[in-house]
Amino acid sequence: MTPNAASSGPSRRSFLASTAVATAAVAGGMPLLTACGGSEGGSRDGTTSGKDAQKILPAYVASNVVKPDIPSKNGSALGFTRKLDLAGLKTSVSKKLGKGGKVTVMSPFWGSPPKQNNAYYRAMNDLIGVDVFWQNQDGNTYDQKLGAVLASSDVPDVVVVPGWNMGGKIPSAIISKFADLGPYLSGDKVKEYPNLAAIPTDAWRRSIFGGKLRGLPMPAPSAPSMVPLYRQDIFEKEGYQVPKSCDEFMTLAKEITNARAKRWACLDMKWTAFQAFGVLSGSEKPLGWNLVDGKLVNRIETEEYLEALEWSRKLFAAGVVHPDSMMGKNAPDPGPKFAAGEFLIYPNNISQWWGRTAEQATQNPDFKIWGMDIWGHDGGDPTLWADQPAGIFAFVNKKASESVIRDVLAVANVTAAPYGTKEYMMTNYGVEGTHYTVKDGVPVKTDKGNIEVMNAYVMVASPAATLAHPDFPEVAKGQVEWEQRMGAFAKKSSFWGMQITEPARYTNLSNDAEQLEDDIVRGRKKISDMQQFVSDWKSKGGDKLRDWYQKILDENGSAAN
Amino acid sequence: MSHSTVPRSSAEATTKIPRPGHPVVSDGATGSAGKRPTGKLSLRVRFRRDRLLLLMTLPALGLILLFNYIPILGNVIAFQEYDPYISDNGAISMLNSPFVGLENFQRIFEDSAFWNAVENTLVLFILQIVLFFPIPILLALLINSVIRPRVRAVAQAVLYLPHFFSWVLVIAVFQQLFGGAGILSQLLRQNGYDGLDIMTNPGTFPLLITAESIWKDVGWGIIVFLAALASVSPDLYEAAAMDGASRWRRMWHVTLPALRPVIALLLVLRVGDALTVGFEQILLQRDAVGPGAGEVLDTFVWWNGVRNQDFSYAAAAGLIKGVVSLGLVLVANKVAHLMGEQGVYKK
Repeated sequence: MTPNAASSGPSRRSFLASTAVATAAVAGGMPLLTACGGSEGGSRDGTTSGKDAQKILPAYVASNVVKPDIPSKNGSALGFTRKLDLAGLKTSVSKKLGKGGKVTVMSPFWGSPPKQNNAYYRAMNDLIGVDVFWQNQDGNTYDQKLGAVLASSDVPDVVVVPGWNMGGKIPSAIISKFADLGPYLSGDKVKEYPNLAAIPTDAWRRSIFGGKLRGLPMPAPSAPSMVPLYRQDIFEKEGYQVPKSCDEFMTLAKEITNARAKRWACLDMKWTAFQAFGVLSGSEKPLGWNLVDGKLVNRIETEEYLEALEWSRKLFAAGVVHPDSMMGKNAPDPGPKFAAGEFLIYPNNISQWWGRTAEQATQNPDFKIWGMDIWGHDGGDPTLWADQPAGIFAFVNKKASESVIRDVLAVANVTAAPYGTKEYMMTNYGVEGTHYTVKDGVPVKTDKGNIEVMNAYVMVASPAATLAHPDFPEVAKGQVEWEQRMGAFAKKSSFWGMQITEPARYTNLSNDAEQLEDDIVRGRKKISDMQQFVSDWKSKGGDKLRDWYQKILDENGSAAN
Repeated sequence: MSHSTVPRSSAEATTKIPRPGHPVVSDGATGSAGKRPTGKLSLRVRFRRDRLLLLMTLPALGLILLFNYIPILGNVIAFQEYDPYISDNGAISMLNSPFVGLENFQRIFEDSAFWNAVENTLVLFILQIVLFFPIPILLALLINSVIRPRVRAVAQAVLYLPHFFSWVLVIAVFQQLFGGAGILSQLLRQNGYDGLDIMTNPGTFPLLITAESIWKDVGWGIIVFLAALASVSPDLYEAAAMDGASRWRRMWHVTLPALRPVIALLLVLRVGDALTVGFEQILLQRDAVGPGAGEVLDTFVWWNGVRNQDFSYAAAAGLIKGVVSLGLVLVANKVAHLMGEQGVYKK
């Protein structure tokens, strides 16, 4: 539930997956929206759209440096599977835009951050012409830091905020603490930063907070991003078949599990269950609402939601879930135990498909991770819900001077460079010889590269969603094709694509639902507790919130298709 | 925190020692002459006499003011609908946030999650008093009876050591040993039994928390008791032995009475801290058992304040905790007085 819901689940390293919705896929569809909650563009809650949004949005200037091998379809990322001509990389930033200033950036980091003054950071800062100083914070507990930092008088120059961390009063903080980038980017002004101009408009539209363009977006594919990942090598060895329904999954899980030999079938499958049962997205509050028979319904009110929880609970009860999953958010990183074969299936962001592959490639050559197609719970086609076209944003401190803002935009213009450019290569692979070596024309990250070239710069702004792994082209192909197959089942819910700020009095309304979900799935609470929670939720403000959303819908029209 | 009171009383003792060149004015106090002459001195004289000691307390006083007293002003947000983001500075936001009277308190008293946290806190407190509190006393007696200094030093070092491990580390170790996929569970499974559910079982969570505390902090807790034991004059033991008192008699009539004031003092302090049952430790394990068992007052405040940014609500809950704690200290102290002990302060 709620944006913070996603934080617990699988760590959201979607930036690695990088990408965005190709423009073609989104050009139509979106109705123009108008401001809600008053005609003034700066209202704190509601959304901004229509003419108001048009005035603010940056112009779009496509830049196709390298033609994708697999064009975007069904909201997938652009896929690049051919070898990259490393000698012929283009330059997308012809002159250093940075003025040599110092910029501090606070950003979530998943894993162990490298030392501050490392070779990768130095090389990037050289390329940009700005001295970027990173304040990397643990991504899994980022929401706990964010509120306190934003409440202090010492907000860093740039703060990266993932959408799923925008609970509580964070949206109000974003509006009051961060600068309006409109004067630098709106309309044709963005052309000064060609790589930012090539970011799809849908991603920019999501960057409007409180009537002003405040965010630098990381575009994301609207195709589903939560994949049930599994150990294909072990499946093949043992002759396991990929399940096609919830019953098949249960049967398979029981077959796999042998606790005595320290093997379980899976981790908590809640996120996959939501998909299999067609539950509305929990990655962001507005996505949890949809118009059903003329009435807005929240995901927690649906039968499917309860069914998904019940099925997830049965997995725990059957003893096929790895005991670490009992710990919920306190569970350790699944990577090493997955590699050791302690469990064979777990749902996570699509980026881990490649991440785990790269991690294990040298020590564990037999290791093969692959993504299962999501099944409909009864064996039919699944009903999936489209993700937002941008989910992570970098914001600039309101108190920053113009020169600092220009320096930040210089950073973004480099990090948003498209695939096939020197800037993309540097941002995603680092320095040749230090962070990657070229083997048969393919860049392969070194150990140093795996430590230093992580998160950081990719968090500031990104090109249109791109899947390109020159070192593992078959993984890139698998990912894009999975996105396209699953994207075909994905529908847009009523508020897809809008950046909506809920009124402050409702923002904490459903915060406890996620904990309750986890308690139910682990057998500590009952489904009836959730039903009770939902009825409390309605009377405590859920119904009023419904009316509030209805008003937005009336004024802006639905995005559903 | 509690240990600081012990040196304080001994420092107080030193002030009573008449120093050369600074004779205690013997104003003919009757009865126990020289025992409490300070009460008869004028403030000015006492101030001049103790000025060095007073000077030495200044840095500590400054820290207490800065970190304990000034922040008390922040409690005003408990009566507001505080939004820290409306200005660039927390204090200014405080001035500009609207007052809502007792609304936050009303919300809290209607919140079942709050009462759940209160219940968990009290259960943990009682368990810790019953299971944790006596152990350092017993250990101190045990160590005190070890004569060989080397054995004693080693035993003390081993007992103190876990205190210096962070909670993250302690819990990771417990997890590796007793977790669902830990060594013990795996050993059981290999031998045909079911794995254990120690770390994630809400029903036994208070016991787990207490066990972890015992492992980590019991050694540290003996320091104060050892100090108290060291101050017992060996003459007393010799005299008792001469009179034919057995080991047990000596412990009962000499050792324990010597410990009594310290035990009473620590108990009072512990009761005052009753609502503080281990924030970091519990926060680290809260999600492993769910809030139903793992939410205590401190994590409740943290969750609502830091995590949900409902600062006013969290401040109100914190304030309730503070007021109740104060009441508990006063009551415990009164009880200590009634039992003839000094307690935390004298009247």
